[in-house]
Amino acid sequence: MQARKRIMQTALAIAIGGVLIAPAQIWSMDAEDAPESVTIDSLVNLYTGVEFDHAMHVDYASCQECHHHTTGGEVVNPNCARCHSTSGEADEVTCTGCHATDRFNETYIRTLEAPELYHIDKPGLKGAYHLNCISCHETTSGPTGCQDCHTMTDAGEKMFYTGKYSPAKGHSAPGH
Amino acid sequence: MKKTVSRRNFLKGGLAGTAAVAVIQNKEAHAAQSFEGYPEGMGVLVDLTRCIGCRSCEAACNKEQELPEPAKPFDDYSVFDEIKHGQKRRTDETAYTVVNRYDVPNLDHPLFRKIQCNHCQEPACLTSCFVNAYTKTPEGAVIYNSKVCVGCRTCMIACPFYIPTFKYSSAFDPRIMKCVFCYDTRLKDGKPPACVEACPQEALTFGRRNDLINMGRQRIRETPGKYVEHIYGEKEVGGTAWMYISSVPFDQVGFDTHVPKEPILNSVKDFLAIVPMVLTIWPGLFVGFHLLATRKEKIKEQEKEDKEGQV
Amino acid sequence: MRIFSKERPEIPIVHHLKADGTEWTIKEKLWLGLSIGEYKKQFFRNPVNWLMMGIFALGVPLLLQRYIYGLGAVTHASNDYPWGLFLGFGLFGMVPLSASGFMLGTTVELFGRKDFHPIERLALLNGLLGYFFAVLFLEVDLGMPWRLPYPMFVSLGPAAVLFLVAWHVATYLSVQVAEVLPAFFEWIGWLKGKRVIRKMVLGLTIAGIILSTLHQGALGALFTYAPAKVHPLWLSVNFQWIHFFCSSIFAGLSMIIISSTLIRYFMAWRCDDEFKDSLDYITIGLAKGCSYSMITYLIIKIVAVAHDQEWSYLLTGWGSYYMLELGVAVVIPMFMFAIGIRHRYVGLIRFAALIAALGIIWNRLNTALICYNWQLYQEIPHWKEVWITITIYSLYFLTYRFIVYRLPIVYGWKGEK
Ligand code: SF4
Ligand code: SF4
Ligand code: SF4
Repeated sequence: MQARKRIMQTALAIAIGGVLIAPAQIWSMDAEDAPESVTIDSLVNLYTGVEFDHAMHVDYASCQECHHHTTGGEVVNPNCARCHSTSGEADEVTCTGCHATDRFNETYIRTLEAPELYHIDKPGLKGAYHLNCISCHETTSGPTGCQDCHTMTDAGEKMFYTGKYSPAKGHSAPGH
Repeated sequence: MKKTVSRRNFLKGGLAGTAAVAVIQNKEAHAAQSFEGYPEGMGVLVDLTRCIGCRSCEAACNKEQELPEPAKPFDDYSVFDEIKHGQKRRTDETAYTVVNRYDVPNLDHPLFRKIQCNHCQEPACLTSCFVNAYTKTPEGAVIYNSKVCVGCRTCMIACPFYIPTFKYSSAFDPRIMKCVFCYDTRLKDGKPPACVEACPQEALTFGRRNDLINMGRQRIRETPGKYVEHIYGEKEVGGTAWMYISSVPFDQVGFDTHVPKEPILNSVKDFLAIVPMVLTIWPGLFVGFHLLATRKEKIKEQEKEDKEGQV
Repeated sequence: MRIFSKERPEIPIVHHLKADGTEWTIKEKLWLGLSIGEYKKQFFRNPVNWLMMGIFALGVPLLLQRYIYGLGAVTHASNDYPWGLFLGFGLFGMVPLSASGFMLGTTVELFGRKDFHPIERLALLNGLLGYFFAVLFLEVDLGMPWRLPYPMFVSLGPAAVLFLVAWHVATYLSVQVAEVLPAFFEWIGWLKGKRVIRKMVLGLTIAGIILSTLHQGALGALFTYAPAKVHPLWLSVNFQWIHFFCSSIFAGLSMIIISSTLIRYFMAWRCDDEFKDSLDYITIGLAKGCSYSMITYLIIKIVAVAHDQEWSYLLTGWGSYYMLELGVAVVIPMFMFAIGIRHRYVGLIRFAALIAALGIIWNRLNTALICYNWQLYQEIPHWKEVWITITIYSLYFLTYRFIVYRLPIVYGWKGEK
């Protein structure tokens, strides 16, 4: 259990902590081209960062399942396939390459107004990996609870009123 | 001679009596006008299929709005089982937003729904408030000014989503407590509200309301079978800035699907329309009645006077 | 009081002059011409006063509690049920029962029905006090009662129905004060004031009709803000204001039948012969008004059900309750009025008036509380809320009695100064 948790602590896709993948010059990428692990720490003020064991996840899922059409394999999602069935490997394969870290800032939102833009609904980085990880973990009984993957920081405990900031017992909310 | 005097007296009295009415009449002219909302306003699209009930949004809201300490930690999921008066949790003076769990028949996992003010395009709370305590800002938020609120709680009656709450616990400084889209601290600077920022699943998508509708439609269209074909809030009560999409019919996850399609104000318009009518027609009508009803007496009086004159 | 009026010919006071030719002072008039000892004696002899004292003994501390610890301490008002008894009874119930003022003002002053004159002042007073206490109830219920004038002067929300109610009730209150003032002027002996008002009477009456039509209707229209919360049978978006206005007609008339009856039997010493002799005749006349407005009301209630296609609701439990309300509170008293008018059974009419008045309160409570949130749950008012409501109502009763004891409401003032 403990070991599994360790592994899981490194779960979750997407690197903010920067991981450079040199674009391989072949038509399709191989697992070997991928990084061993990825540090995920966008929530670092509330939760400690996560070491994502990319090498391990390669055994569980095909590239496309997480990387959509960017790794150059067969495009399975029919929505992607409409345009990308033959577009091959993309220049940018990392999550951060497409999924904005600051998804809701004004400038980004303004870019969505372009009338011919198809990708009007790309989740931000945090959304992208949580959506991806959790939905898969639900079907493969991977970890799904928040703290199964990352431990809460002191600031997190404070905001959640949990741990040493738990409300005193017997205390109840006022009002009718 | 006598007759003219009495008529003049009558006019004077009539004026004094109706002067106040005339003053109001002017103002009521506004009443019938409706408010269309701001097309460029921001909103949030809530996707129930994404929400995992982690309550991060509740925690973030509590912190951002400096609300009191909750009864239970925000990572305590036993709150989903709380039932009061047969109802699931709702907003109150300590929580502007709450997440509830719904166990939908024939679904292997529960669904969660976050509720908060929907920031209606034509807010019922705003139109029902007689001191104009609410404002719909161009950014899309429905904000509240506690400095002028009288505490009549009509806004709570009017809100079709049971959102505004009252600080009943306070005698000297009560006020309405409700989600304000983090207007002062974030929205007006172009930032998303705290809950949206905290949501790990991006179950809450912040954006221009018009864009969100397109996003919602795209999501529904491109994942056939995943969603029911409806964006709750696109049309409900004239449209809301916060909208929902769901994988199951909305009434199974606690939504009131019977709210009117039109703004709440429209159901009040019937009455507002008669106001100027009554103000203008009644005086003439009743003076007419009066003259008719008392004509005989007048004639008698006149005859009497005539007779006296002859003597 | 009766004992003194038998022993002392100059009591009750109906004249500026005592038997010996000297004038009554205002103070003496206030004490009803009795010595303080005598006044106390008659006060404590009256069991009603003991009841009132009992009510206040608990009611006043409860009111204090409300103003120190907030509404939450004494009521079950909640976020689901923002309005409780204070408004459900105090505002929505008191106001229709006080429609008597404009009804009789119109009848006597506008339609020239001088035969109703003996009861006109009582009707005006009933109206004035009803409104005044409705505002008092509001002051108990408002979260920030000290901001009562805000909708008038500080921050205006003119598109709101409540704004209209506030303005109209406020103006109408002043109209009613003006209408009742002549009685006061007679009593203090300032005839000039009376003459001034007398000249404005027609204007005041017409202002009264306008304001009453609108705010009686507006109280109904307030519920159209909650089309999804009030049970459809009790809420008709198109007809709500007509329902409220129309039912206020017989409510006001019934209330005046009740209060004149009480005064006739428990304050006979205060009534003059004109009032006593004409009361039966007047009561029958009022009953006619009641039965006409009731049949109209019944018809528009049914029209509303038909218009909104709500027949199927009638088959549900709520439907039975709805028909029970219409049956007991409207149809039965309507027939009682009709029979009473036909056979001149004044007693039956008075009983019908009592049912009709209670029926209106029932209807308003149904709309504001019982059938509100019909899809959620039913709220039962806190006992303290009930007690405070009774306390304020008792204060209303005492004020009413205090004025009728003194001012020339049910008797004519003899001798102008
Ligand atoms: S949801 Fe309710 S409180 Fe929020 S804007 Fe709409 S009517 Fe007002
Ligand atoms: S409670 Fe305050 S904000 Fe709500 S309607 Fe009344 S005055 Fe307006
Ligand atoms: S933070 Fe997001 S996922 Fe979590 S409960 Fe709130 S809306 Fe749902």
